[in-house]
Amino acid sequence: MFKKIPLVFCLLCITLSCGEDDNQNQGYSPTPVNIAVPAIFSQLLPAPEIPANNQLTQEGVALGRALFYEKNLSADNSLSCAGCHKPNQGFSDQRRYSIGIDGIAGFRNSMPLVNIAWNTNNKFNWDGSADSLEEQVLEPVVNEIEMHNTWPNVEQTLQSDPNYLTKFEQAFGTTTISQDLIAKALAQFIRTLVSGNARFDNYLLGQATLTPLEQQGLAVFLDENRGDCFHCHGSPSNPLWTDNDFHNNGLDENFTDLGLGDITGDPAQFGLFKSPSLRNLAYTAPYMHDGRFQTLDQVIDHYSEGLIFSPTIDPLMKTVAQGGVQLTPQDKAALKAFLLSLSDPSLANNPAYQNPN
Amino acid sequence: MFKKKLFLLILVVFFMACDKNEDQPQNTPVSIDFSHSFNQQAIDSSSFNALDYTNGFGTTLSLTRLRYLISQISFTNQQGIKTLVKDYQLVDLSQDNSLAINDILLPPGAYNLKMRFGFTEAANTSSIYPDLNAASWNVPDMLGGGYHYMQLEGRWLDPGDDPNEPFLYAYHTISAVQNPGPDNTREDTSIEIDLGEITVTQGATQINVTMDINQWFENPNLWDLNTLNGMLMGNYTAQKMMQENGQTVFSLETNTGD
Repeated sequence: MFKKIPLVFCLLCITLSCGEDDNQNQGYSPTPVNIAVPAIFSQLLPAPEIPANNQLTQEGVALGRALFYEKNLSADNSLSCAGCHKPNQGFSDQRRYSIGIDGIAGFRNSMPLVNIAWNTNNKFNWDGSADSLEEQVLEPVVNEIEMHNTWPNVEQTLQSDPNYLTKFEQAFGTTTISQDLIAKALAQFIRTLVSGNARFDNYLLGQATLTPLEQQGLAVFLDENRGDCFHCHGSPSNPLWTDNDFHNNGLDENFTDLGLGDITGDPAQFGLFKSPSLRNLAYTAPYMHDGRFQTLDQVIDHYSEGLIFSPTIDPLMKTVAQGGVQLTPQDKAALKAFLLSLSDPSLANNPAYQNPN
Repeated sequence: MFKKKLFLLILVVFFMACDKNEDQPQNTPVSIDFSHSFNQQAIDSSSFNALDYTNGFGTTLSLTRLRYLISQISFTNQQGIKTLVKDYQLVDLSQDNSLAINDILLPPGAYNLKMRFGFTEAANTSSIYPDLNAASWNVPDMLGGGYHYMQLEGRWLDPGDDPNEPFLYAYHTISAVQNPGPDNTREDTSIEIDLGEITVTQGATQINVTMDINQWFENPNLWDLNTLNGMLMGNYTAQKMMQENGQTVFSLETNTGD
């Protein structure tokens, strides 16, 4: 009896070691890769959060990059992710509403896709409708006013492309292309889209200076009695320049778009939208979830004298009864100058983010 | 040959199983839960936005956000040995995973439980806590720097006010600052919370720390939201009043055994 126990143990070990998917290539060995974390992020922020089941690899990121620029994700092979998230527009879209493959406009402005790896609350989209980046990237492909495709069709299209068979095998050890793996690859690439090289970042690192006007603007931004921007939009201590949370910032008395409330069904969340990062404002106009403001001046005017009361308005919009914080023209000019110092000119031409196809 | 190896294996397993010192008291799990009430009405994130609460001033109010920082969470046993179980915890009613500290192990016995509302002056250094930075918990340097102690926000109405247009409040506590600006001076207004004696018993011990939110509005300073509703961070007098009101906010319940 005792003699059999070691034998059973060995058999168990052999069986366990054979537990992996036999369909995967035995030579599958993607190279782990880390996000290029900007120096100021390393100083001030936690490490980026990467899901355990979708760690970044060179091959996965390369595949995701190819897919990000792949027009065959859309039903008529005319529109890629990059069609509405353009590198030279802060990975956003300077059109108020992006146009889908059928010529139909959406109803929200395209969200910028940078520093997503630090979105620690795991709520994505203006309305928080996705609980992970892997989930978020699925929706535009089948959205009727965006790519208007089906996932079986996408899988079939890519499955017939030998280049993608190689890329998927390199990235995931399989030539069986699935929506799950497509989403994982896209998410890997999007997590590498990092913006942390604005002049203000370099100022914090002691490698650049701010103009007197920009310094005044920073003071307005951080002054609870004037801009009070920092409660929702970060600060020199939070270089994400967003709290990644949802707020009603006093745009409307009545809502045509319920935002977060449309997802949760909670009337207390009607009209709440995610705070966007203030990075790259020089490239990401128009502004707000619906792109209603064409210029940064209009945005500042809104907070200064354009606030509108509604039942769910955020208590941080504390001067709504006066229409806003009533900035002086000098404060407005300074605030604008400071905000523009958060734009990162190296983002658009980063070779790692360009179209590889 | 196999019999000898098996015998050796059994011996190793036997000795490993006997490795613990039977004379030492075994650690037992302890958890601290943070709960909230308003005049004995339980509050959680599902209570947000309802204008259902009346403070000592007679103002009806709602909550839309409650986040606060607890630091220096420690248990001191009867021999005077202090065990710091966590440096700090940002409690956020909208984040369930922030409402408890679960990974505490202590030997059974009697302890004094203390914690602190906010950071001490020594710990309240700008930008040094990455997770709090990402949570936008910072206080601008011109307002003294460091970190918030609490963000309590909501809407309010006095009798006779239009119920369709409640007013807004942002009751933010920080280290009190004088002369906001580049030459400000800061004063530590964090609050030591001495929760008294608790007994950790073998098995699971659950400690419930409750915040009575209404205490922030009435004891000892009756809070008039007509005048003190926002822009309080740079208001030294308001911060001192908040510190005084915060002395009676926290209390303790303990459930032992499992």
